[in-house]
Amino acid sequence: MSTKKILSLALLGTLALAGCTDSSETTAGSAAPSANKKITVGFSVYDMQFEFFQKMAKGTQDAAAAKGWEVKLHDEKSDENEMVTGASALIDQGVDLLIISPFKPTALGPIIAKAKAKNVPVIVDDIGGGGAPYDAIVISDNAGGGKLAAEFMDKQIQANGSKSKNVASITCEPSATYAARRNAGFKAEIETRGYKVVAELSGNSKAEEGYKVMKDILSKNPDVAGVFACNDPMGVAAANAIKDAGKSPLTDIVTVGFNADPEALTAIKSDKLSATIAQDPTAMGALTVKLGEQALNKQPIEFSNAPEREVFNPVTLVDKTNVDSIN
Amino acid sequence: MTTETIIERTGDKPAKISFGRLWDTWGVTAILILLLLCTPAIAPGFLEVENLQSVLRESAYVGIVAVGMTFAIASGAFDLSVGGQLALTSVVSLMAFSGGGTAAAIAAAIVTGLLCGLVNAGLITRLRVPPFVATLGSLFVFRGIAYLLTQDGPKTLPYSQIHSPFVKLGSLNIAGLPLPFIIMVAVFAGGWILLRRTAIGRRTLAYGSSPSAARFCGISDTRIRLFVFGLVGLTVGIAALTYITRVWTADGSAQDGFELKVIAAVVLGGTALKGGKGTLVGTFSAVFLVSVLNEVLVSRGVESAYQRIVLGCVLIVALTIDGLRTRFAGPGSFRRAITGLIPRKTTQATS
Repeated sequence: MSTKKILSLALLGTLALAGCTDSSETTAGSAAPSANKKITVGFSVYDMQFEFFQKMAKGTQDAAAAKGWEVKLHDEKSDENEMVTGASALIDQGVDLLIISPFKPTALGPIIAKAKAKNVPVIVDDIGGGGAPYDAIVISDNAGGGKLAAEFMDKQIQANGSKSKNVASITCEPSATYAARRNAGFKAEIETRGYKVVAELSGNSKAEEGYKVMKDILSKNPDVAGVFACNDPMGVAAANAIKDAGKSPLTDIVTVGFNADPEALTAIKSDKLSATIAQDPTAMGALTVKLGEQALNKQPIEFSNAPEREVFNPVTLVDKTNVDSIN
Repeated sequence: MTTETIIERTGDKPAKISFGRLWDTWGVTAILILLLLCTPAIAPGFLEVENLQSVLRESAYVGIVAVGMTFAIASGAFDLSVGGQLALTSVVSLMAFSGGGTAAAIAAAIVTGLLCGLVNAGLITRLRVPPFVATLGSLFVFRGIAYLLTQDGPKTLPYSQIHSPFVKLGSLNIAGLPLPFIIMVAVFAGGWILLRRTAIGRRTLAYGSSPSAARFCGISDTRIRLFVFGLVGLTVGIAALTYITRVWTADGSAQDGFELKVIAAVVLGGTALKGGKGTLVGTFSAVFLVSVLNEVLVSRGVESAYQRIVLGCVLIVALTIDGLRTRFAGPGSFRRAITGLIPRKTTQATS
């Protein structure tokens, strides 16, 4: 009996809520945005716990502030549900432009569908585009980074006086398509310099597997003069495997990682890794704001890879000579 | 419910309303209404249409599964595997969508959810594994299978399918109300009828308050387990549909920690952890209490770490009240529970 009352009251409450949504919808509709108001940009960030994304957010906020824009920041907290909810909320709050570094690129669909319905341009920052119709995606120049690694490795191998022209390459997990470009860029450049990639194996982006893969390479191809790893955990692990085999990851087998992770920088400082490639999340953030402005003004964007609407951000090589200048 | 009836019949004033009894069904709802009344002051912007719609849409997946979980906990069992079930069901449903479209996706979600529930029921009744352990195990198994199926990357709804009716399932509003919320209300209504108006619902409660007594009355363990865990699986199937049409993607990691959100809502709603008492009204309000509280904290700029702490504290306070009420059960229990907080001689407390 009392439960019946409760149910009817709950239904009443629901109806009241429905009524109130309808009535406020009309008021929200009438308050149309004026033409020359301040531009607000929403930035939905992958996870603010990571230094990489803190720098990316700083770069985005500083570049937007320089243009006199307001920035609304949303933290996806490494959760696809939070990503969709929070980014949709930014669009609901009436941002003029959405910048997003997506935790799950495959969950970009509903966000971009919503943005399209409201004519909000979407610039993706890093990670991936998930096949959705974003306006542009900013990614590090991965192939360029691989090329830098090859140039450094060639120079270092010659300085070491190694006779061998054999090198190895450790890849990330097969689904990481952008990361695969690092190894592809490395391979293309090192081969034009007269070397041969005798082993190209996947360490699935993981340190443990990187270590194991390097051990395999050492037993099958003990004469390799250099190794390039797709990320730093595997790069540092490969360097450890080389040390454990009684060789030097600097003078015997030149070891280069990718990402400039803190562990890699520490390893470079203490002669446990030859070099790494640094991405620049701050500059990536600033670049998204620049592209966003172009999209807002309907100006054509200059793509590095037009079919995928990709814009590359340059990377730099970090070795013992400049490691102290990297914070 | 059983305790309610007994009190009504034995009390000298049959329809005496005690604060404690009111609290049982209305407590969380009252707190929710209080919180909602405060929102204009503490979270401006909360009452905007699109924000409210987002809260309703968001609450659907936890809410729908909370209906099944209310039955499970009322029967004296937990289903810890709902997170794994949701991930697996979502992945299978998305695979079915790419093969056979909307109808196949809906059918696959319902069937996979039910199958997961029946697997749990089978583990518990045939292999005699306690529900807590059986579903803890199957949580890992279900998630593991979902990971296996998505080794080449998450399953997705491709952007080209934006106009398919399946996608509309998650994005459509009817009279301003998001469709997932309407589905959730329908599931709650169905659950309420099952729990309050059918024999199997009453048997579930009876089994929850005392399995051995229920067995003496001819209530079959197997049938209760099949019903309860099958129902949880079914609600997961429905919830998965609202989930994947919201985020368009799923893999093994989808909705990590989902089981705890669902259990927290049910327990906060006032369903007794030891079984025998279930309130869907409380569960309904608790689902929204948690999401409104979350929304308020987010709009106040509270860091996610503190959000977790606040929610944890709310849960502990709610359970403390519940625990004290159970200890001092009966009319006037609230007053005695509160006075019972002050340490005294044990003889007084039990008098």
